[in-house]
Amino acid sequence: MLSNPKKPQFEALVRAYSAELYRYAYWLCRDRFLAEDLVQETFGRAWQSWERLRDDKAARSWLYTILRNEHARLFERKRFDIDEAADLDGLIDHTSAAPHEEIMMNQMLGALPRGYREPLVLQVLGGYSCAEIAEIIGISEGAVMTRLTRARLALRKLPGMAAARKVKSL
Amino acid sequence: MNCFEFRKLLLAEPRVRTSEQERHLAECAACASLAREMEAFESRVHDAMRVPVPEALAERVLLRRKIRTPALHVWALAASLAAAIGLGVYLYHPSDDGEERVLAAAALGGAHPAVAAIAHVLDEEPRMLKENRGVDPVVMRAAFTRLGLNLPANGTTVLYFDKCPMTGGAGNHVVLQTPFGQVTLILVPDRSFGARVLVADRDKTAIASPHGTGGYILIADSLRNVRQTEKLFM
Repeated sequence: MLSNPKKPQFEALVRAYSAELYRYAYWLCRDRFLAEDLVQETFGRAWQSWERLRDDKAARSWLYTILRNEHARLFERKRFDIDEAADLDGLIDHTSAAPHEEIMMNQMLGALPRGYREPLVLQVLGGYSCAEIAEIIGISEGAVMTRLTRARLALRKLPGMAAARKVKSL
Repeated sequence: MNCFEFRKLLLAEPRVRTSEQERHLAECAACASLAREMEAFESRVHDAMRVPVPEALAERVLLRRKIRTPALHVWALAASLAAAIGLGVYLYHPSDDGEERVLAAAALGGAHPAVAAIAHVLDEEPRMLKENRGVDPVVMRAAFTRLGLNLPANGTTVLYFDKCPMTGGAGNHVVLQTPFGQVTLILVPDRSFGARVLVADRDKTAIASPHGTGGYILIADSLRNVRQTEKLFM
């Protein structure tokens, strides 16, 4: 057991954020086991650098950033560059055989290029604004908005989304 | 603000509503309808993104960092499992007529894996059932097959399936709706129990038994249901 006055705060941080970090990690790598490894590595690095954290309020975004960097370091070794002009129309084909609405949505999310999926996860699950996402990912706020719009347009092609075509005509 | 500007913002940041957007909503029925539809859409996306989180993830993070020692329930289950295996204690008590005796939890102690499993089911499982929605049938069937157990194709519904932390590895936690009620099965691969034991605690009965290259713990509402359900998996 380590004797560190910040230990209770760190423990509270782990309990508060391990679940949401796991989900973020899962949608980055789409692998449950790797996702857990990423969460472990993230908190490992956070613990090592704990003394450098000046503002407790910034801890959450700090953890997200560590996890993202860990993912890049361990599994990607590169930035998540994407082709802004990538055609997302073909995504609907990935779900054509899935009978259940929720499974279809899950598959569609998985089929989204990571560059589109990541800001969506940060916004929908993390509750981050476009400006905050831009800071975490390291791109402009405008680029984040574009990616989010395109991601939603792609997902809205699912059956039952009657208004999708109307919105697409923006 | 026109419809184009409204929809552009709606798709990029649907949770945000500026005063300009509110004014446009009040004037434009089409955009108001779209905004309502987007709320339902966002809810679907949110639900799909909330993938199940592995049991006791925070505990494992803290243990890895040596922030704390193993806690009750899940980790008691893991630790006590190792203890029971290591000691190889003989806890199988057939009565004179050949029936297995049901032991009281006090006779085994709270650290015994079967008793810890009952506590885990009563204290943690309701929350887990709420959080876990997805089951990969291929992974689940492989977990049963690995232990040489049968997963009945008919009459049972899988309510929950996920990893379960065990000392030196991971097992599987399965909750099933069966003809004999809701039961929980903890599958422990590659680690044999020292002895078969049947125990009752609170309003649950559990059997911990070696099987194949590992073992399992089965928890149900009654002795009868434990025995009947166990036959389904053989």
